[in-house]
This record gives sequence, structure tokens and C-alpha cells, in this order.
Amino acid sequence: MCWLLGLSRSGVNVPGVRMVDASEGLLGIEWIEGSSVKRLLPSGAEDSEEGVDGVSAEDQNPLDAFQLSVDALMGLIGVEIAKMHLADIVHGDLTTSNMMLRRPSSPDSTPELVLIDFGLSYHSTLVEDKAVDLYVLERAFASTHPDSEPMFASVLEAYGKKMGKEWTALRRRLDDVRLRGRKRSMVG
Amino acid sequence: MPALLKQFGPLKNPDHPLLALGLEGSANKLGAGVIKHAPDGSSMVLSNVRHTYITPPGEGFQPRDTALHHRQWAFKVIREALDSAGISLSDLDCICYTKGPGMGAPLQSVALIARTLSLLHDKPLVGVNHCVGHIEMGREITGAKNPVVLYVSGGNTQVIAYSRQCYRIFGETLDIAVGNCLDRFARVLNLSNSPSPGYNIEQEAKRGKRLVSLPYTTKGMDISLSGILTAIEAYTQDKRFRPDGLPKFTDDQDIITPADLCFSLQETVFSMLVEITERAMAHIGSKEVLIVGGVGCNERLQEMMGIMARERDGQVFATDERFCIDNGIMIAQAGLLGYRMGMTTPLTKSTCTQRIEIKFDRFRTDEVHVTWRA
Repeated sequence: MCWLLGLSRSGVNVPGVRMVDASEGLLGIEWIEGSSVKRLLPSGAEDSEEGVDGVSAEDQNPLDAFQLSVDALMGLIGVEIAKMHLADIVHGDLTTSNMMLRRPSSPDSTPELVLIDFGLSYHSTLVEDKAVDLYVLERAFASTHPDSEPMFASVLEAYGKKMGKEWTALRRRLDDVRLRGRKRSMVG
Repeated sequence: MPALLKQFGPLKNPDHPLLALGLEGSANKLGAGVIKHAPDGSSMVLSNVRHTYITPPGEGFQPRDTALHHRQWAFKVIREALDSAGISLSDLDCICYTKGPGMGAPLQSVALIARTLSLLHDKPLVGVNHCVGHIEMGREITGAKNPVVLYVSGGNTQVIAYSRQCYRIFGETLDIAVGNCLDRFARVLNLSNSPSPGYNIEQEAKRGKRLVSLPYTTKGMDISLSGILTAIEAYTQDKRFRPDGLPKFTDDQDIITPADLCFSLQETVFSMLVEITERAMAHIGSKEVLIVGGVGCNERLQEMMGIMARERDGQVFATDERFCIDNGIMIAQAGLLGYRMGMTTPLTKSTCTQRIEIKFDRFRTDEVHVTWRA
């Protein structure tokens, strides 16, 4: 969990560490006032029995509460992941449910995107690991949010801009990673 | 058989009882089964017959010989399925067969049988995706509503969740299937192929005590198994390996037995499967896991999945070998659901596909339109 401290030092938005009790195996982290990105985006899933917070009917776009467009949110996601990767941390489980949008404290500040759940994260400088990280997110988008291609494209655009030089190699590797898997292409 | 009532979704209750025959033969099992959907929305398994092509220890099954086996046993198996259901072919509403994916030659043999029966008795054909068959049968038997599905068999390893009339693949194997990995290691150890190599690995593993170190290869939501197979095979060349499982001399403590290797292989690959399933559950927010496919009847896998699900306050649904291992009834179930939604396969389209032959006829699990769910 030392990532959390390192990451916040590198300027990545992560939950603040409030308390650590190593002997008891306890970690206290900050409560983030806001909502998970997964809930903010249209999902195609059959509503689970618990329902999504009871009310959130489809006629009302939950993003309106944050005064943010889908595109701007995707931009925030891209930038935040790029900051994390620039610090050479790989999240290991990037999904829209592992990102939160923090409600702005004052009316004139903008909402912040916070990355959470670093349970599977590790330190790596490898292009491969970062590309797989992005691929996991792409798959999470595709499987939970229908018609998500344009959304993920704008995540990548913001990510690429922030990554700078490293992006060329990463993009090429991401294309490679996408080709993996069975029975996928027309080959064989 | 529990009679389950379906309340929601686009599927209407039939106005008279419907009967379907399902024919399955995508791998080394030939299955035939008859299912009945009653007007009250319940369904009932009338018969479920299977014959497995078993090869000698150390050998796998070849497509040609498997196809021959299916052709030789087809009449007997179908006759038995009809007799124990107490119906004749003319009572059927449709004939369902496995369209793919699977091994080419066996699939073709069974498709040919299905076509012949359909023409002889003037019954509509329904081609069924094998994986969707597994999922629908699992849902029907266990009553799971909207589970994350772990589909593990000799040919497939996928974590699947339902969304917008498609079963979407969250994670899958990048190379070989988990059943394939276990079966091939059974061959290395020369374990019997009867009733199945995976079953014998499971029995052997119960006596294992030593956990040898193996690579743990999850890649994002996907897993890779071929390297693990190579690594575990390498242990059989190790100096400490005792093929008979017995120490060579009295002080021979530091030994690795076949049972230890089976145990280690199972623990490692099942942990990986549990991990990717848990991640899919966390992301979707589902508390139900359904395990289907031949490896799904492995009790150790069910146990490990159960521990994970309990920690998440969830529940595991699994079936026994009658419905886990390839069978005809699951093809009948998925086919009849499709038939009730008006999906039939005209004779000229009643092909089968091993994997993806042409660009426009892809047949991954996530390319099937599931019309009968909301």
C-alpha cells in the first residue's frame, strides 16, 4: 500500500492514507465523497437485484450532477492513468468501478477523478505491463458500457497527450495486446 | 427436476407443451436429450443420454476417430433418449444441434444426423452455440438469475457476463483451455482417460501434500496456461520426481510424487480462475457465480470458488457431471429457447463451424444474439 503515498506524491489523485496498523493488518483511507465512474456511465446490464441506488432512473443523466460531459470525464480518466504510468505504477485492475469522481467541495472548483483499489498494483517500467493495463480498461469498457468505442478513444487521446514520447511505443504494444486471445481473428 | 417459473423477459409462455431434441457432438462426447417446456413456463428434462469416446491412457482423441465414434453410436444414443423420454420423433417440435465451436469432423457428423432427421420427419432445425448451451442449461438447473459465468472445459475457458442480449466475455485464456491443460498433464502421467482424465487428476490431487512452485500467469483479465503446462511437465524430469510416488530408499524425504504435481497444478490454475472471476464479479456488482463446462464438476474448483463467493457474501451455482460435461439436453434447452423466439436454421444454412471460418460467420460466445433474455 506504499503505492498510495508514492502516487499522491507524484500528483496522482488517490485516496489519502489516514492510518496504518501493520500488526493488525489495518489500513485506514480517506472517504471519497462522490460516485464510481461505472455508475455515471450508461450501462447495458440487467439491473441487479439490489438496483442502482434505488432511484437513478434512466431519464436523468447522473453526470449532470457533476456538470461534466462524458468526453471531459474520459479526458480526466486518460490524464489520471497517464500520471500513474509516468510514475511507473501499474494498477493491475483498471475498470470503471475502480475509479471515482469526487464531488467538488466548492461550486467553482471542478470535480476530480480518483483512482482506487490498488490491491493488484505493482511497480513496472515495462511498456508491456502498461499496455496490458490499458487493455484491461478497454475490455471493462466494452463489457459494461455498450457502444463505448468512442469513449475509450477519448480516454486514449488524453492519455497519449499526457504520456508524450512514451506513447508511440505504448500504442504499438497496445495494438499487439489486442490481437492476443483465441478464436479472435480470421486466422486459422 | 426442479420446475422453474420464468416471470420476466421477452419470452412468452408457450400455449402448448413444446418438445425439443438436442444433439451434441463437438468433442469426444455424443449426447442426445429431450426437453419439454410446459405452458406454465416450467421446463422438464425428459431424457439425457451420453456416450463418451474413451482413448487408451496417454492418448488424446483424434477428430477422425471421434467422428467415427459419433456415427457408430448415433442411432443407439438417440433411440435411447427418445425411448426413455417416452416419445417418438414425430412428437418433436424442433431438432437442435451444435453448430459450433468444436472439432470439425465430429461436428459435421452430428450436423449430418440432425439434417437427416429433420428432413425425414419434417421438423425445423435449430443450430446452437455450444457455449450458450452450457450457460442456458446452468441457469435452468440452478435457477441463478444473472450470474457471472465461469465456463471451463477442454476447449474453452471464459469468464462471461450478460449485457444487452449478449453474453460478453470479460476474461479468457490466451492460449490453451484449462481442461486441455489438465488432460494433457494426465497424459504425461499416463492416467486413465476413463471416465475422464480431469476426474483422475482430481482424485490423484486429493493425495497431494507438497505444493511445488509454478508460474502464476494472469494477464489483466485473461490467463495463460501453456507455460504452466510446460513448467509442470518439467517437474516430471526432476531428480526428486518419483513416478511411483514412493521413496527410493529409507531416508528419501525430499521427493515429488505425481499426486503432488496434480495437487499443485490444480491449486495454481484454479486460483487464477477464481481471481479473474472475482474481478468480474466486483466490476459487475454481481453476487452470483455459475460454473459450467466439464471442468466445472471438479469439486476442488467449486470449493475454492465457494470460499471466494462467501467472502463476498455471494453464492456459487454449480451442477454435477450430468449437466456440466457436454450433453444433448443443454443444446435442446438453448435451441428451444431460440425456437420459441422464432429462430430456426434453414437447411441451406445448417452448417457447423470449428472456430471462425469466414469473417461474416464468427461464432464466439459474445457474437450470439440472445433474444430470449431482457
